[in-house]
Amino acid sequence: MILTIARKEFVDAWRDGRFRVGALLVLVLLVVAGLLARQQVERAQAERASAAELERRNWVEQGNKNSHSAGHYGVNVFKESSPLAVFDRGVEPFVGTAVFLEAHRQNQVAFLPAQDATAMRRFGELSAALALQVLVPLLVILLAFGAIAGERESGTLRQVLSLGVSPSAIVLGKALGLLASVAALLAPAAAILAWLLARAAGPGASEVWTRAGWLAAAYGAYVTLFAAISVAVSASTRNARTSLTILLTFWAVNCIVAPRLASDVVHGSLPTPKLAEFETEMQKDVQDGLDGHDSRSKQLEAFTRKTLQEHGKSRVEELPFNFQGHVMLESERLASVVFDHHFGKLWDRIQEQDRAVALCGVAAPMLALRSASMAFAGTDFAHHRRFARAAEEHRREFVRLLNEDLKYNARPGDHRYTAGRELWERLPVFQFEPPPFAFAWSEARRSVLVLLGWFAASILGLVWSATRLRAVVA
Amino acid sequence: MLEALKLTKRFQDRVALDALDLRVEPGEIFALLGPNGAGKTTTINLFLGFLTPDSGEARVAGTSVAADPVAARRKLAYIPEMVSLYPRFSGVENLDYFSRLGGHQRRRDELYGLLEKAGLQREAAERRVGTYSKGMRQKVGIALALATGAKALLLDEPTSGLDPAASHEFSRMLKRLAGEGVAVLMATHDLFRAREDAARVGILVGGRLVAQYSAKDVKDRDLEEIYLERISA
Repeated sequence: MILTIARKEFVDAWRDGRFRVGALLVLVLLVVAGLLARQQVERAQAERASAAELERRNWVEQGNKNSHSAGHYGVNVFKESSPLAVFDRGVEPFVGTAVFLEAHRQNQVAFLPAQDATAMRRFGELSAALALQVLVPLLVILLAFGAIAGERESGTLRQVLSLGVSPSAIVLGKALGLLASVAALLAPAAAILAWLLARAAGPGASEVWTRAGWLAAAYGAYVTLFAAISVAVSASTRNARTSLTILLTFWAVNCIVAPRLASDVVHGSLPTPKLAEFETEMQKDVQDGLDGHDSRSKQLEAFTRKTLQEHGKSRVEELPFNFQGHVMLESERLASVVFDHHFGKLWDRIQEQDRAVALCGVAAPMLALRSASMAFAGTDFAHHRRFARAAEEHRREFVRLLNEDLKYNARPGDHRYTAGRELWERLPVFQFEPPPFAFAWSEARRSVLVLLGWFAASILGLVWSATRLRAVVA
Repeated sequence: MLEALKLTKRFQDRVALDALDLRVEPGEIFALLGPNGAGKTTTINLFLGFLTPDSGEARVAGTSVAADPVAARRKLAYIPEMVSLYPRFSGVENLDYFSRLGGHQRRRDELYGLLEKAGLQREAAERRVGTYSKGMRQKVGIALALATGAKALLLDEPTSGLDPAASHEFSRMLKRLAGEGVAVLMATHDLFRAREDAARVGILVGGRLVAQYSAKDVKDRDLEEIYLERISA
């Protein structure tokens, strides 16, 4: 019985010219979004590869110079896009793709693609994820608002109920038919996205497919909950117009109002410092020390006394190594404590904000889905933080090697010491290993839980609407 | 086959149906007459289980509608004033769908046969019903009653708005169904059809069945006169 109704709904939907036009538009948008994202990711990857090669060449061929000065010369390292960025670009356009690594400073990731864009970019970036989050629910609503309310108005519901069909078979059959129609619409887009992903996956493909599987499950749950809610509302309202009004209001709140409102409320209650304030504060702490009492100069004075004492010397020139290199190493260590403190606080706050927005998904499922989607795609802030952290660790290692070279290879008091290509080549090339799926899961699990809550509630709502289904609403 | 036992329905303070006692036997056509708001459609809705009675009971072939509405409906066919069909499906596709919902899966040629029996030719049956007249829709409704093998047929103003030829054809089909043992309860304003088709006629006024007449009674007297006399009493 349920399958008979589902089959009829499926055929009816595809015979409806409005659905075919809507479906075609959504399909084209999904495919175009996927292809555009792939093109952007490929172009960015090619640019990054060529820039990284150029950086390495410039570094190796910089000529002879003091190894600490080479630390100031610095290098850029570049962020690889996640293969799933073809589906969901997440925060990537807004967090930057390159970090300049230099002595004494932990720089923020720079070169945001959004900075190069026109003002139109502010209206959002088209991605397959966005189309699925916003447009597919709209299509589901347009298909489902009259599923039962329309039949009540036209009289076919009386006809169907008079045949002894149970209300639960009607609502479940309608929901199933609706989902089958949407699945048939999404199948070609999913196949194209899978093909794009297969091309982009490369090594570590099984990890990527695991993430893709979870993405499919999350979006499947989202579309299903929209279908269930739509059919439940259609079953509970007197006419199709009321059903459409309720469902469009829900869609607008979920897809337009809630993301903006949640973002504003969360940023208001969990504020982050402005960039200039952050930099100033951090540089102040580098100079004054974190507690404000034990300044950098005092700490270095104490460090000099301690070093001389340890080696039983009275002058730094008598030490068995270059004291300037030794100080640079200590200076980096002290600065690192300050950087860890400030960046840790900032990043923790941004992640707190992200989690709070995801929890607002309790009121609007799109927020939970968006958060889970970015986490599974590897394009959320937590993944970005892992890259920024890896780049900083690379910077510290790179500066440590340069300072150690100065400390152990330059004669005490020798200010003219220079190192050359042999040292530059010894410094490792930056390589970033993206975090495993378990990391993505730990970031996504709260959102998945919220989404599951919505899913369960929508199914319960559907069942409840079946128990109240009447041919005539009093 | 169709039984109403002290069937009563109130809408807030208004009594829509007041202790209706009625029995329609297999093969019998019973016409329920009455002015608007007399309780005719309420009676149909109570037999369909779309409304719950405040007291009394409706039964279809021995099955209590209130106790098991789904089982009771399985024994019924229902033809409203305007048979509602899915406009993006053809006549035969509509019949196939409704027939499956009624628990009867039939081959396509059988469905065409049933539609032809109901007076709808194959060419028309293959067309989408968006273009169907009211009479053609009623034929699909009759074919559905044939397809599901219903033991009882509930009709709510079935000939309202039909032209005389279509009304006559509909009447012919109704008699044929009754001839096959189907109990027919027809709520109508059409006094002519009631006198021509029904074995018994009942008059509902203010939710009460105020009179019942056999076919012989109404053939001997002018039904319109009886009707007007009863509703103004």
